[in-house]
Amino acid sequence: MDNKDFIVGPDDPILVTGASGFIGPRVVEALLHRGFRNLRCFVRPSSRPSRIEALNAYGRDGARIDLVEGDLLCPEDCTRASKDVMVVFHLAAGTGEASFPDAFMNSVVTTRNLLDACLQHRCLSRFVNISSFAVYTNIRAPRWRLLDESCPIEGRPELRGDAYCFAKVKQEQILTDYGKRLGIPYVIVRPGSVYGPGHDGIPGRVGINTFGVFLHLGGFNTIPFTYVNNCAEAIVLAGLKKGVDGEAFNVVDDDLPSSRRFLRLYKENVRRFTSIYVPHAVSYALCYLWEKYSSRSQGQLPPVFNRRRWHSQWKKTRYSNEKVKARLGWTPQVPTAEGLRRYFQSCVDMGRHA
Amino acid sequence: MLKVAIVGCGKIADAHASQIQRLKGCEIVGVYDREPLMAKQFYERFSVKRYFDDLTGLLSDARPDVVHVTTPPQSHFAIARFCLERGCHVYVEKPFTVDEAEAQSLVELATERRLKLTVGHDDQFSHVARRMRALVQSGYLGGPPVHMESHYCYDLGRDGYARTLLADRRHWVRNLPGKLLHNVISHGLARIAEFLTSDSPQVIAYGFVSPFLKRLNEDAIVDELRVIIAEEERTTAYFTFSSQMRPSIHQFRVYGPKGGLILDQDHETLIRLRPGRFKSYLEKFVPPVILAEQHLENLLRNVKTCYLEKFVPPVILAEQHLENLLRNVKTFLARDFQMKSGMKYLIEAFYRSIIEDGPVPIPYREILLTARMMDAIFAQLATTRPIVDAESPA
Repeated sequence: MDNKDFIVGPDDPILVTGASGFIGPRVVEALLHRGFRNLRCFVRPSSRPSRIEALNAYGRDGARIDLVEGDLLCPEDCTRASKDVMVVFHLAAGTGEASFPDAFMNSVVTTRNLLDACLQHRCLSRFVNISSFAVYTNIRAPRWRLLDESCPIEGRPELRGDAYCFAKVKQEQILTDYGKRLGIPYVIVRPGSVYGPGHDGIPGRVGINTFGVFLHLGGFNTIPFTYVNNCAEAIVLAGLKKGVDGEAFNVVDDDLPSSRRFLRLYKENVRRFTSIYVPHAVSYALCYLWEKYSSRSQGQLPPVFNRRRWHSQWKKTRYSNEKVKARLGWTPQVPTAEGLRRYFQSCVDMGRHA
Repeated sequence: MLKVAIVGCGKIADAHASQIQRLKGCEIVGVYDREPLMAKQFYERFSVKRYFDDLTGLLSDARPDVVHVTTPPQSHFAIARFCLERGCHVYVEKPFTVDEAEAQSLVELATERRLKLTVGHDDQFSHVARRMRALVQSGYLGGPPVHMESHYCYDLGRDGYARTLLADRRHWVRNLPGKLLHNVISHGLARIAEFLTSDSPQVIAYGFVSPFLKRLNEDAIVDELRVIIAEEERTTAYFTFSSQMRPSIHQFRVYGPKGGLILDQDHETLIRLRPGRFKSYLEKFVPPVILAEQHLENLLRNVKTCYLEKFVPPVILAEQHLENLLRNVKTFLARDFQMKSGMKYLIEAFYRSIIEDGPVPIPYREILLTARMMDAIFAQLATTRPIVDAESPA
């Protein structure tokens, strides 16, 4: 794709938040690869030094990489980071590991702060918000339905029992609200399950290890994987391509494996362990019972397993990447087979696995 | 219907709302957070009547009877005072205030206005803590405690809170006089305060930054603390806070002239240590349930070596652990085994004291004594090690 299709030029300042995270460095790399030379990387003080050094190293070939250390909860830090910036790639977010308030604060309040800062500077051409497949509801959809950008967003995210889902839905809401009310130009990118070297563990869509033994819940479901470099490329295109303001893009790779196949390959290539397959009817029934008991016991068991989550994560669903290919001209550069090979090798090298 | 408001919509506010909503005869009429988005998300998740972006509006429009203050500790005093001055009873999360002077001021104001105050030492109202209190009150110890040991540990690698705290030089915890200790130790100290009779016990504290934190270039956060507390020629106590010892326990041991008790908060078990000894080798025989395997191993070893003296206690301990297990199962089946069931009990007791104008669940004396001991600890730590300005770089 020619750079004339882009909304900014190679010397225009671009901000990447979450630049030292899992996807962030690949976004920086992809921007540099496309000739963008004026990048600002926002990192938390808690970022791993090795990742900061890696970002600094990118700046050696004539590109300017400004590292801005700060906290997106601090409006002054946001103002400083977004000064003169034309495109924001907003990857920083709360993981939801701690609590709902924590996830919300680190995803929604931070996004609001950044949007306010961008409004002050009045030079923003696009705000790219990295969301997730977690925002989709699947509750009334038939099995094997095609999940694409037209599918409904979770209307009651607080009932999913998943702080990350709640925060991501609310983050999208505040962004679209700013877009409508204040004219912020934005694009939403919703990656599927992002995997690649440096990211250990087996996705929850495949199964869970909560009860001391790995429960395989995915079965023959397709897992909506996207290799981290492919995902980063899609994010970059979403931030640069003309004529896509206000759009959302799902990002999944081609040739997606089933959960069963992924698990088999993982065991063959990384580590052998015992897993118990839980048929869909059984997992649905267990989620239903858990949900009911959680409600009846007033939260004696936290409502982390419920039907909404089952529909979202473990129901048989198909995925589409047609829109991201057609509108952004994206193609996954790393085939799934090669991506999985690299991922498994990384798991072995790091000695980290689920 | 008791009208309740919550000020501060962070993680602990979720626990408060969950437990308040389990109670009959009360409703959450409003919430406030200085960040309006946080107040709004709370309002949406808990179906609260209204949310506010200023405290005055909350008090004047929602007109709560009780306010729960769940903000960072530095703001507890100002918010609690503001609420008391406007006629509200106040539940303040731990630590009650930044120091004893603030605590004293709040207690005086509440007393003067005939309002009620309490602090979020909800661990003291868990099922097992209440059982322990009942036993002590029934005279199980055989007199005032001779000695107590309170272990309150905190695994720094356990969650994102510690990572955030360590990385963030502006984190509010760093601005507390006792930093991490200030935000955590009041639970463990309050257990001791409950059984002290003197208002001015001697406090000897020793604290240091663990090698683990030093390796992370952290030199301002004391995460290892040992304290000796002594009433003159009466009760003594040891308090231990550690981020490094494993298991990361939350235990309280109290020994009287005729018996002792071991409370394990993590496992919700209470073990009675009986006075006296058996007159034969049948002395040492049983294990707790979770520790049953170890105790049985000891039992078998003792049998093999024919030390009959060492046979009975493991059996007795095993019986007690089974008893604890059965109690826990029973409580679970009764659907009263929530993570914060102690908080529910404390809130319920506090509300009852308001409605019936009865005694508060945590006597003000204990609140003040806990604050006083914390002040003494932090003052000693400040004089024995250099204090690094929280704002300065590592």
